[in-house]
Amino acid sequence: MNTTAIGAIVAKDVKAFIRDRFYFFMTILGLVFYVGAFWLLPSTVDETIEMGVAQTGLDAYFDGLTTDGGLEITPYPSAEALEAAIRSGEGPAVGLAFPPDFAADIAAGNQTTVSLFVTAEVPAEVRGGLSSMVREMAYLAAGNPPLVTLPNEEEVLLGVDRAGDQVSLQETMRPLFVFFMLRVEMMALATLVAAEIQQRTVSAILVTPTTVTDFLIAKAILGTVLAFSQAVLLMLLIGSFGSNSAVLLVTLLLGSILMTGFGLWAGSAGRDFLSIIFWSMLFLIPLAIPSIAVLFPGTAAAWVQALPSWGLVEAIVGATAYGDGFGDLAGPLISLTGWCVVAFAAGLLVLKRRVVRL
Amino acid sequence: MIRKILLKDLSLGPRSPILLWALVLPIVLTLLIRMVFGSLFASEPRLGIVDLGNSAVVATAGQLEGIQVTFPDTPEELRQQVEAGNLDAGLVLQAGFDELVRSGAQPELQFWVGGESLASDRIILGVTAIDLVRTTSGVGSPVDVTVVPIGDQGLELTVRMLPMLVIMAVAIAGVMVPAASLIEEKTRRTLSAVLVTPARLRDVLVAKGLLGAILAVLTGVMTLLLNNAFGDAPLATLLAVAVGAVMMAEIGLILGSWAPDTNTMFAAWKGGAILLLFPVLFTIWPSLPQWIAKLGPTYYFLQPIFDLSINGATFADVAPQLAIAAAICIALLPVVLRFGRSLEARLVGGPKPAKPTPVSV
Repeated sequence: MNTTAIGAIVAKDVKAFIRDRFYFFMTILGLVFYVGAFWLLPSTVDETIEMGVAQTGLDAYFDGLTTDGGLEITPYPSAEALEAAIRSGEGPAVGLAFPPDFAADIAAGNQTTVSLFVTAEVPAEVRGGLSSMVREMAYLAAGNPPLVTLPNEEEVLLGVDRAGDQVSLQETMRPLFVFFMLRVEMMALATLVAAEIQQRTVSAILVTPTTVTDFLIAKAILGTVLAFSQAVLLMLLIGSFGSNSAVLLVTLLLGSILMTGFGLWAGSAGRDFLSIIFWSMLFLIPLAIPSIAVLFPGTAAAWVQALPSWGLVEAIVGATAYGDGFGDLAGPLISLTGWCVVAFAAGLLVLKRRVVRL
Repeated sequence: MIRKILLKDLSLGPRSPILLWALVLPIVLTLLIRMVFGSLFASEPRLGIVDLGNSAVVATAGQLEGIQVTFPDTPEELRQQVEAGNLDAGLVLQAGFDELVRSGAQPELQFWVGGESLASDRIILGVTAIDLVRTTSGVGSPVDVTVVPIGDQGLELTVRMLPMLVIMAVAIAGVMVPAASLIEEKTRRTLSAVLVTPARLRDVLVAKGLLGAILAVLTGVMTLLLNNAFGDAPLATLLAVAVGAVMMAEIGLILGSWAPDTNTMFAAWKGGAILLLFPVLFTIWPSLPQWIAKLGPTYYFLQPIFDLSINGATFADVAPQLAIAAAICIALLPVVLRFGRSLEARLVGGPKPAKPTPVSV
């Protein structure tokens, strides 16, 4: 292995990367955009329904309501005051106005009406849920006993209770930003490789003491260093390094190797800028799926978990949002490592075949 | 001559990734937006129900608004789904559940809540489950709940994003296709070859512009069809899309004439596209001051498309805005010609000769 030659090729490519207006501009722009977008995203999850209530004689019911932080009730003296507060935008978005003689009417067996004030932002399930709540109150007030026995809270709750400690949109978007950053670097590497092949500079390099292996190692180092440094910089700027820095660094390194493998592949297949975009998209669209899937609640489908970038996304979320360590993330990291080997070997193989044939 | 150049571009077009991108993008974007924004920011609580008998709860649950109801096969599967966070809550209705309820036996409700579910969703699903059980008792509710809407009820986010989908479809096809085609011809020097024939650069520009405009109309129409948003005045909507397509094609010609290579074109697009795209932000967030949107040229065809498709406007309602859009198209013509002449001068003049080195005597 000719380390001097490898160093020279890497240095040349770094200069070429900086001179490439598009990718250099995109890297800087991307970094600024992702950092800005990250800090603009909500860092907490609002899981409370803020509701105004105008009622008389129902204090006992509302005081006994167990809401576990899911419902915040603000009392209003009258239905008019509640409606005015909602209309002005200073009050909550939803409100319940009980008639003054609600309890008496119900007890007397009279049919009564409760008004549910809602603004456009109140979703259908909240409207339906609050209507259900009022109906149940009325049944109880009318002397109808509960139809079912409710189980203990311990028996009801399954999995880790994340109420009040939900993963915010900011945290779930983190892997997507990292993926986008790695994507630009993958395409930059692909462009450098394609230019090398199309301009036949690789043939010129290979008539020097540099071997094909040196050339491949240089490209692999370049791609990994480019992607890794950008990803680490992004993570630093969005404040992701905490107690789990080691696991995060390993994850980013593996992610960089993975994207380098695909970059070498796309660069070997592409002829010009547009065809590189085309080839890159073929890889990037499936690779993007896990980072989009993590935005949705629940566990990713089995086919999503089989995608190469799933381990990267899972490990980033685990390390940054849940504070998971190497032990907790063994599965995703092993999957990511396996895909790194596959993508890297395939990328090097395709590039080697292309170089040897020149 | 224009026809020949246009036909040549159309026949070679399918080989271009840009064309593929322009045609595929509206579909991909529509799917992504429906998938992501349709459920991400308005995520509905998810309730799973396993009915081991023949409960009336199931039929009522299927009609719930704003709650996704699924029916796993077994209680074990339901429990697994709730535990994994794929469902927010699960309800198991044992055999003979309705009879037990009606007899007053007060059976224990087998109800599970996922730890990852939001506190607000837990309340909603809890009271909904109890209310569902009430429907089996046959006792009518002593209260009527009247929903009183307050203020403008507004539009769904996915609907408000329609202008963004339209501008992406029209702009990618209208701007990028003619620009990329012109640049490709420049860099491969086929444009210089064309200019030694009777064809004039003006013919080339018209042909490329037509190509972009036709594709932009096609992708714009495709986007509106995909989103079922042609409105009550489809001809007026089509006219608005066509005006927008012409405007985008003119911008594409300016970009293609100016940019020396594809990389510069993409860099300029990434940096400058915000000037074309920013009016859509004001439709997505209607609370922003709307006058700012009117500063963008694309507003004058996007807003008519939105009003025609979603707000039920007629051609007469949007005619003034469309007239401004048409005026912008006319105003862009001299700019296109100027950039075209500049390109022609560069092509005819060839590369600039190197400056002679001063010789000292």
